[in-house]
Amino acid sequence: MSAAAGEGNAVHRKGAGTPPVLLYRNVVKRFGALTAVSSASMEVRKGEVVCLIGPSGSGKSTLLRCTNGLELIDGGEIALDGELLPRDWEGMRRVRQRMGMVFQNFELFPHKTALGNVTIGPMTVLRMRRADAEQRAKAMLDKVGLADKTASYPAQLSGGQQQRVAIARALAMEPEVMLFDEPTSALDPETIGEVLNVMKRLAKEGMTMVVVTHEMTFARHVGNWVVVMDRGAVIEQGPPEQIFGSPTVERTRDFLSHLGWSG
Amino acid sequence: MDLDYSPVLDSWQFLLNGLELTLALSFLTIVCSLTLGGAIGLARCYGPRWLAVPLVFYVDSMRSVPVLVVLVWTYFALPLVIGVTLPPFWAALVALTAQIAAYVAEIVRAGVTSIRAGQTRAAFALGMSRAQTIRTIVLPQALVRMLPAFGSILSITIKDTAIAAVIAVPEYMNRSQTVAGQSFHPIEIFTVAMAVYFVILFPVTRVVDIVYVRLAHLGRS
Amino acid sequence: MNFDWSVVWRNADALAEGTKLTILLAVTTMAIAIPGGIVLALMRLSGVRVLSSLSACFVELFRNLPLILVIYTAYYVLPVATGFSLSPITTAIVALSLNVSAYNGETFRAGIASIRQGQSEAAYALGMTRWQATREIVLPQAVRRVLPVLASTWVSLFKDTSLVSVVSVGELAYTSMRIRAQTYRVLEMLTAMAAIYWLLGYPQAKLVDWINRRYAVNE
Repeated sequence: MSAAAGEGNAVHRKGAGTPPVLLYRNVVKRFGALTAVSSASMEVRKGEVVCLIGPSGSGKSTLLRCTNGLELIDGGEIALDGELLPRDWEGMRRVRQRMGMVFQNFELFPHKTALGNVTIGPMTVLRMRRADAEQRAKAMLDKVGLADKTASYPAQLSGGQQQRVAIARALAMEPEVMLFDEPTSALDPETIGEVLNVMKRLAKEGMTMVVVTHEMTFARHVGNWVVVMDRGAVIEQGPPEQIFGSPTVERTRDFLSHLGWSG
Repeated sequence: MDLDYSPVLDSWQFLLNGLELTLALSFLTIVCSLTLGGAIGLARCYGPRWLAVPLVFYVDSMRSVPVLVVLVWTYFALPLVIGVTLPPFWAALVALTAQIAAYVAEIVRAGVTSIRAGQTRAAFALGMSRAQTIRTIVLPQALVRMLPAFGSILSITIKDTAIAAVIAVPEYMNRSQTVAGQSFHPIEIFTVAMAVYFVILFPVTRVVDIVYVRLAHLGRS
Repeated sequence: MNFDWSVVWRNADALAEGTKLTILLAVTTMAIAIPGGIVLALMRLSGVRVLSSLSACFVELFRNLPLILVIYTAYYVLPVATGFSLSPITTAIVALSLNVSAYNGETFRAGIASIRQGQSEAAYALGMTRWQATREIVLPQAVRRVLPVLASTWVSLFKDTSLVSVVSVGELAYTSMRIRAQTYRVLEMLTAMAAIYWLLGYPQAKLVDWINRRYAVNE
């Protein structure tokens, strides 16, 4: 069983045998003198839920933001469906349409209603007609359980509701991959559940998801593959049972025990 | 256009005296308006309620009327009312102080009220008196927060002294006009004037910015 | 000392004309200076060195010059520089517009910069272009932020129109002082001038206060 930044138990992975949707090879990202990601390698298969866990500052969010080009990598490669990500803004912009991102502090557009937030992507980027966009938006909002909130402004919604609108907004673009950057870290405990439930449903429906999270229960029960990062490097990766049940790397054990994780 | 800067050079002493007066008027105006404005601002915050009415009226009126109008009225009309003729420099000082003190009063009031009530409660809980609290806890923090606004007051004051040229105060703007009129080279005179004012004003705002950045943490609560 | 206040009523028409010109000057200037300010702000934030520096220099220059000096300089320089004979009103509007555009440039820059970067990122994550993100997400929010400051700038502009009286533009201040010179009614005319400005300016100042309260940033 390899504890290095390799493929781990590849043969047991969901979607094994199919080419990976996302492939990261020795990805490096620096901010000035600071190396945020120092050679990360991993794969995301179709329909998999890959959870990135690790201490703060381990580079998990940075790696996620490199995936949809919000940050440009300094070394290594990232490939979507076998094609390397472009290095120019316009090329990257087209790739971004195939990925959806959900942010830690929702980043809903405050001057638009829930419906407006969900329709703006399809209308502006996909050039859909308003009627079609609204139809799709209503379906997405219904999917996240907010069919009755279409006319509400973000300020009138709770944190959990706002994050669900954010998920609907990303889904409206019909992405191939959904990227979640600590989606529940800014939520009150009572509302975390409603967001995780939506994410669980998405996973069940077969959406390919990369989730940076501190919710270990989610990673354990909904995740198909767990990647542990620390100080910019992937120190261990494997199926949830192995990572949470019998982690092989000392730092993984330290991290999990600090979280009070007792399996 | 062919430019001839010799009139500037010939009259440099004349212009320099004007510049000295600009700086003197600016300095005195700032001192007076900080004093008057500070007093008014604090009176608005901590004074009796009945006092607020005339003070608010004064401050709002000064916000509504142009500087030029106040200057002209103070120099030409006030003597007719009070029977005393003010020399141009002192008329300008009175007028500018009246105007700028109003802005200072608003800044002080906004700065003081921006200090959260929790700070004063904490001070009282330690047993401090009202006066001690204001002096040692509220004002120091408020002063830091007001720094950027004071910087712009400084800048506005110097710029407004140029308007005093209109009531014959022989400061730099006025002197520039005189030289321009006599030499028929207004372009050269006024471009030099622009350079002079810029060289004075630009560092003023920069220095205030730098000082504020250094001290800002002292006002954050 | 005898005062004859009827001189004010007798010249009411002229004063009304002057007031109209004051308002016209302010409206025209703001109509130029708002787009001007937006352009300057976008230049400053564009990331293109040349545009950014040009904008920064323009803004710093006009924020550090007395407006009355700019008015005089425009009056003397513009006709010579452009070769046309320009009316005093034109040079006055140019001077006022340059000045207020610079202030608006800084206002809009601060307003746009105050919109969290996460908002742009969320827009990019949906696949929007930089311009789409600016147009749909950043600018609408920035406009709301800058409204109180723009209102204050308007009030200052309204008062600053009085300065163009020095180049013989017939707005309210010039008209009042001309009548004073003609009739020798110093106290009456100057007080009337102050009173008219006060009557126009006081409600505007109160409106600005209301806008500040209503549009306080709620984030």
